[in-house]
Amino acid sequence: MSLAVIDAREWQNLFDLQTGDMVSSEDAVVKTVRHILKTHPYPGDTESESNRWVTDTALDLIDAYDPQLACISYAQQYFANRYFPYDAASRRKLFEHVFDEAERFIQASGMAPVIVGTGDMVPSGRELDLCRLDGLALSSHWSARYAGLHDPSERDLKEVTNMSGIECMASREEWLALFDTPVAEPYRLPDYLLVAEEGWCFKTVGQPLRRSIMVPGKGFEIPVATTLGCVSHITDLQRFVLSHLARERIALILIEGIGLAEFPLSHNPCRNNRDWFYYEPGEGLYLTLSTGRHQVFAYPPGYRYFDDVEEPKAYPFSGYFREMPRSTIGEVYSGRSIAVGNRSMFMHTAFGADLSIECFARNLFNQGLLAVIRNLCREYR
Amino acid sequence: MRCNYCEWGCELTEDTYGVCKMYHVKGGMVQERFPNRWSSCSVTRIESIPFYHAYPGSRSLIIGTMGCNFRCRYCSNGFVVYEDPGQIEDRMLCFTPKEVVGMARKMRCDNIVFNVNEPTVSLPSLLKMKPHAQAAGIEMGCLTNGYTTPAATEMLLSVFDFFNVGLKGFSSDFYRKYIGVKDVEPVLRNIEHLAGSAFLEVTTPVIQDVNDMEIEGIVSFLSDIDADMPWHVFRLLPEHDMKSEKYPNIDTINAGLKTARRHLSYVYFHNFVGSEWVNTDCPACGFQAIQRFSLGCGGDRLMDNRCPAGVCSNCGHDLNLLVAAKEAVI
Repeated sequence: MSLAVIDAREWQNLFDLQTGDMVSSEDAVVKTVRHILKTHPYPGDTESESNRWVTDTALDLIDAYDPQLACISYAQQYFANRYFPYDAASRRKLFEHVFDEAERFIQASGMAPVIVGTGDMVPSGRELDLCRLDGLALSSHWSARYAGLHDPSERDLKEVTNMSGIECMASREEWLALFDTPVAEPYRLPDYLLVAEEGWCFKTVGQPLRRSIMVPGKGFEIPVATTLGCVSHITDLQRFVLSHLARERIALILIEGIGLAEFPLSHNPCRNNRDWFYYEPGEGLYLTLSTGRHQVFAYPPGYRYFDDVEEPKAYPFSGYFREMPRSTIGEVYSGRSIAVGNRSMFMHTAFGADLSIECFARNLFNQGLLAVIRNLCREYR
Repeated sequence: MRCNYCEWGCELTEDTYGVCKMYHVKGGMVQERFPNRWSSCSVTRIESIPFYHAYPGSRSLIIGTMGCNFRCRYCSNGFVVYEDPGQIEDRMLCFTPKEVVGMARKMRCDNIVFNVNEPTVSLPSLLKMKPHAQAAGIEMGCLTNGYTTPAATEMLLSVFDFFNVGLKGFSSDFYRKYIGVKDVEPVLRNIEHLAGSAFLEVTTPVIQDVNDMEIEGIVSFLSDIDADMPWHVFRLLPEHDMKSEKYPNIDTINAGLKTARRHLSYVYFHNFVGSEWVNTDCPACGFQAIQRFSLGCGGDRLMDNRCPAGVCSNCGHDLNLLVAAKEAVI
């Protein structure tokens, strides 16, 4: 059984990860995780201490569990940049701070780092307003590049084809053919995927109230910094890390909101795409680098998220997932692993580590922390 | 000309917009400044809004506009509600009331719920929406702060079929200090009136050491009106001017709800992940009628509705549920 520990600040509860039922356990690992959560309350997505929280929490988890693999994500600078205006000097400071934190983690843990930047951000530019189509257009506010178009009329297709700022439009079939991977529920995909040029953003219904100041920029390639070798494609990262884990303890560190343009460390560009499709920062990117396979269609851009109405839903703490993703790096690796991050509530699903600790925050509202103890850490092995 | 939508009764001119900044005088009448502008148009489960007793498990189109007649120091939507509407108008979605209803149909929603800001600041648009919603068979509900004039309350009643009124405290002192209005009385008056005229739930956001001492008064007030009125106690995560305040302690607040649970049939304590106090138990026999799961800011969801007809399937007790007609005859 895998367990979820919720820490809503000064209040904890333990659940079966799959059913959401409350459970109790006196297991030593549960006590340890509870203690770490209590010791490290989450400061909030945009608070300056947020990245320090990642380092401190991960180091305590390493002290307690001694993993060979640590998957770490730093995201404070990403959220801050998205929603608040920074001048160039302040942005530089944000980035300096996060790399200082990563360095502190590397020094204290003694792990060999593989550091990945998830892509540059650019000012949120002109809007492509898709609200008034006959069909339904949907785009997540996390995406600047993609929108799904459902049940379009002939008039809609003509209109979007002629819109400035649309780079291309792919039918469902073209999109599926691009990846050539079996898709269990192709009907969940939009009829068309609209792709925006850099500097444009989609405006659709279903987006939250907070306006983004910066959005993901072009991310065909992302930076990877490591002294262990060269990774040429995002789907090679899993194999690369696993191959070195035989000899070294590895920290796979994701630094959000920074790409080739501003990455301060010596790095290699790593392809993050297939043809015109690249991964914006988010679950698709995390899952692809963690599993070594393209992960586009589980939570495809622009899909009708509200049609997933299964009740009761399995894995209620795990977003849209109805089962845990398979072949993640933590699941494939036979040694001990942890994951800690302040990006969102998907560290446990993306990495499948034995122990995961992630912020439980949405739209910057800080509700505390979620820890996942997978298979009771396979009984500590 | 005096605005008669809310209890502020602001003096308006063509260029003077009052507290909410959403009305002015045009053509000798009080008119909306930004009709057909919406800050939100998205889909959620009704439990997330929250409505626990109205149409359990239904899909809601959430709509909202801009502006508010309250100035809650802890507001979680302050970044849109307290902005000058004239400054953010271009960021809004632009739909006629008929198009909003069309959007609800496109997204297969069972109802439309106004919940971002205060519906009173956009009443004319909502009045225009009602016939289109009615024609489409879509019910409308809202969250409101209840600070309407008697005339505007009647207008709200003509638009909305179900309400959740935010009763944020029980003293005018609290309302003056934290909400920015001079008197709680209009809110209490409207709760009494709405309870007798429509389906009503009430929500109280609790801030430790700020308004938790007013819980007893609220419970007494609500139970005198209707002991079966669903009451949501929200663990408030302060935002806006109070962002640095401490989070309310869950055990402390919960301990303070003991009396409430004796006097009110349906007391829910949530807005935090994994709350244990989100299920509906039959007050007559204790049978668990509805099971829910709360993800706090991630939304609440229905897990199991064992009484879809609105009465306890164990003892037949009326659970004060608003259910769709087709379910009521099950």
